[in-house]
Amino acid sequence: MTTEFERGHAYVVDRGEIQLRYGQGMAAGLGVIMRHFRDAFTKKLTNPSETSGMFTVQYPEERLTLPDAFRNFPILLYDDESGQELCTSCFQCERICPPQVIHITQEKDPNTGKPVPAAAEFLIEYDACMSCGLCAEVCPFEAIKMDHEFELSTDEHGGLTIDKAGLDRPVSYYEQIAPSFWAEARDNAYKKLQNAVKRRSGLIGIAPQVAEKLKATQVIEQPSVADEGQTTKDEGSTPADDKASRLAAIRARNAAKQAETNGTTDAAPQPTAPADDKAARLAAIRARNAARKTDANGVAEGAPQPTAPADDKAARLAAIRAANTAKKAAEEPRIERQEPAQAPQPADDKAARLAAIRAANAAKKVAQIEGDAHDHSPNGTNGTK
Amino acid sequence: MPRLSPTDLRERLNHDMPGAVLQQQFVTDGTAHDGDRATPPARKGAEQPVALLATNDVVVAAVRLPDVARYMRDQLGYQLLSNITAVDYLAEGVIELVYHFVNVEGGPPLVVKTRVPRDRAMVPSMTPWWPGADLQEREAFDLFGVRFDGHPNLRRVYMWDEFEGHPMRKDFPKQGDKYMTEGE
Amino acid sequence: MLKTEELQINIGPQHPSTHGVFRLIATVDGETVVDLKPVFGYLHRNHEQLAEVSTYIQCMPYTDRLDYFNSMANNFALAVAVEKLAGIEVPERANYIRVLMAELTRIQNHAAAIGFLINDMGAWQTPLAFGMREREKILDLFEMASGARMMCNYFRFGGVWRDLPPEFMPELKQLMQGLPSFFDEFERLLRDNEILRVRSIGVGTLPREVALLYSVTGPLLRASGIAYDIRKAEPYSVYDQLDFDVPIGSVGDVYDRFLVRIEEMRQSYRIVQQVIERLPQTSGEHINPAFADIGKQKALRPPTGDAYGRVESPKGELGFYLVSDGSPRPYRYKVRAPSFINLTPLGDMCRGHKVADIVVILGSIDIVLGEVDR
Repeated sequence: MTTEFERGHAYVVDRGEIQLRYGQGMAAGLGVIMRHFRDAFTKKLTNPSETSGMFTVQYPEERLTLPDAFRNFPILLYDDESGQELCTSCFQCERICPPQVIHITQEKDPNTGKPVPAAAEFLIEYDACMSCGLCAEVCPFEAIKMDHEFELSTDEHGGLTIDKAGLDRPVSYYEQIAPSFWAEARDNAYKKLQNAVKRRSGLIGIAPQVAEKLKATQVIEQPSVADEGQTTKDEGSTPADDKASRLAAIRARNAAKQAETNGTTDAAPQPTAPADDKAARLAAIRARNAARKTDANGVAEGAPQPTAPADDKAARLAAIRAANTAKKAAEEPRIERQEPAQAPQPADDKAARLAAIRAANAAKKVAQIEGDAHDHSPNGTNGTK
Repeated sequence: MPRLSPTDLRERLNHDMPGAVLQQQFVTDGTAHDGDRATPPARKGAEQPVALLATNDVVVAAVRLPDVARYMRDQLGYQLLSNITAVDYLAEGVIELVYHFVNVEGGPPLVVKTRVPRDRAMVPSMTPWWPGADLQEREAFDLFGVRFDGHPNLRRVYMWDEFEGHPMRKDFPKQGDKYMTEGE
Repeated sequence: MLKTEELQINIGPQHPSTHGVFRLIATVDGETVVDLKPVFGYLHRNHEQLAEVSTYIQCMPYTDRLDYFNSMANNFALAVAVEKLAGIEVPERANYIRVLMAELTRIQNHAAAIGFLINDMGAWQTPLAFGMREREKILDLFEMASGARMMCNYFRFGGVWRDLPPEFMPELKQLMQGLPSFFDEFERLLRDNEILRVRSIGVGTLPREVALLYSVTGPLLRASGIAYDIRKAEPYSVYDQLDFDVPIGSVGDVYDRFLVRIEEMRQSYRIVQQVIERLPQTSGEHINPAFADIGKQKALRPPTGDAYGRVESPKGELGFYLVSDGSPRPYRYKVRAPSFINLTPLGDMCRGHKVADIVVILGSIDIVLGEVDR
């Protein structure tokens, strides 16, 4: 048996005969505990060299600062001013994700149909994400980063599949939570963003939040008025149209109030709205609409934002997000609903035409092939292998 | 610190226990360090058949395994049976069992391998001599379907008793995907 | 002669003393254990198969979930195995950072393990809180470096994810000031306490030869008097350049295991001290420059072959046996999980003891079910 090693040796631990008798050993142990018990009420453990004292914090009120490296769930970044998203849908994160929870659809140019370096849809299943941070590490465009927000509990499971509107955060937000990380990434990010922007056009690649604002400044709010009428009409028939919408409405109203008190206009969901009150009402209605429509679509999009507003900023962010999701959902369902239908349409047409020319057998085969090819619908969470 | 290389072990076994070590395909490239297979040029994907079974480690006949193991324990001082691994080589139709023996005095573990056909995977159990092999053999039985002859309690360890099949085999259907079950 | 009847009692799978979802079927004669059968698999997720459909770097975050108390040690073992398989060099600085993390992991694991052991003996929660407090400080350091407290995912092939942040070292040095007094105090809690001594001395004895045949490793084997520590037996990383001793026990009972763990924390403390001294003078980066880009890690295709990489995790020998067929995914990925194999002698250790001792013996093995069931 070796007891001598190259650097160091093996030694037998001293079992030691008991030195204190008649319960004194126990008393000594209890003495240690008593000292800690006393310190737990009188002293606060402030630095790691201390070994006694109160080291817990009263959580929701009192919070420990998170280090820059802290990672919880991934978010997407967009430029504050232009609203251009940093993501170019290069699929690197989708490929490296160990549990395969990232699903990206690439944006296509509406005129040419060619792919554009921007994400049309970006879904992350937060419920299955394991916060490993590989996506943020692999992203060559610094577009996907790890959030510090960890209070994401929700009673609705479906709400944990987050879409692009829910994932988008302004760069300034990330800069604030992880300054050292952003300082490293900043130059690379903007350089690559400029290249990507050159190949984008219109509202492609603009974060939904900002896109809404841009649209709002250009177009008078015609559709939303129609929405409002529709909603008020429907309100009675579907009163229990769920918590989600009510929550969103409350958040939006709060946000409006916040904006009033803070005097910051960008927190208000509607820059063009004359009164904050009205903006809140609009947002609330839209949120309700969105909830209803998404319900019908089966896409859990207008589901409650899984953020529990912790401080002013978070509350405002949540409100903006709620309002934007609502807006986006209010306008987009038509497009979204068309998408799956649209895709197979030409295939069917083609098949029909082919059928007219060729034998019915051949047509069936073609249709089948085409159908298979279009099986992977853009929003569908297609299976892993 | 005793450092027995696979080559030394093969020589000793050939000398002391003739017939135990199987003839095998060796890795020709001499650059690989002991115990590891050599380094063929990097390939794209695994399209071409690879000589996965080529090895520099000692491969013994399955029936002689307990003898060899006891020889290693009693004569060579490799007393700790550290690790039992089953590997399913589907293309070759072989299940390989890899035994890592450790000498507590130091040095790297010594590897002994044995190969059995996939459809009749039967190996003599080590458990009567090494009670520590108990759970590891049960694991190999559970996940790979290797039967250990002489194991006192060869039952599944991870899967439930009624489970059919051996999930780590390469031809076990990969089912249970949450997306796949949704539509069904 | 009084005729007694044997009775089977079921402990778990949901039981506070089983450290997770783990079931024990005990056959008892009165209060005495006649036979004990552990039942596993409640947490089984076929980690090994999951790895076979993942690339090598994708396996890294999964290893965090094996022994979730020591994710750094698990990362270390996978990194060692893959580096051996693919022949990747690790810079000196990266090695020192790795050792630093591995030893901090050992300290926090043992602090918690002893806390839980005392917990299992009936000193409910209070002594455990002392261990958890020190563990908490170390987890804060992990969070600072890796971004997560428990699921660190910090190691990469050829190094570590990123260099230590500037605020890491001052914090670590402060922590180091307080640790020795913590060790002493923690030792005093059990060492002289009559109740705890009675509960641990002579309980769950595993004699030297039996321990060897049962393939146990780690503090369990060392407490039985065998100075087998992979850091000494087959030094990996830079352990051959560090001074530390190997504490061993003489009897192999629960008490010895407790003492060995305390001493191991002291030795780990010594190692961390040396690392702190040497880290500023180390050469190289935190990662091998050829693998600094994660794209390289992702595209890693080790040459055809097999490799067995092992480290001394706080629980014992943690090994990864990898077979590569030249593709980016491991052909076979086997975890030699110390918690699992250390459970083999549980039945033998408990035989003849009282039912209440089962819990203590199980606590002294220090298992984590994430690793047992994989």
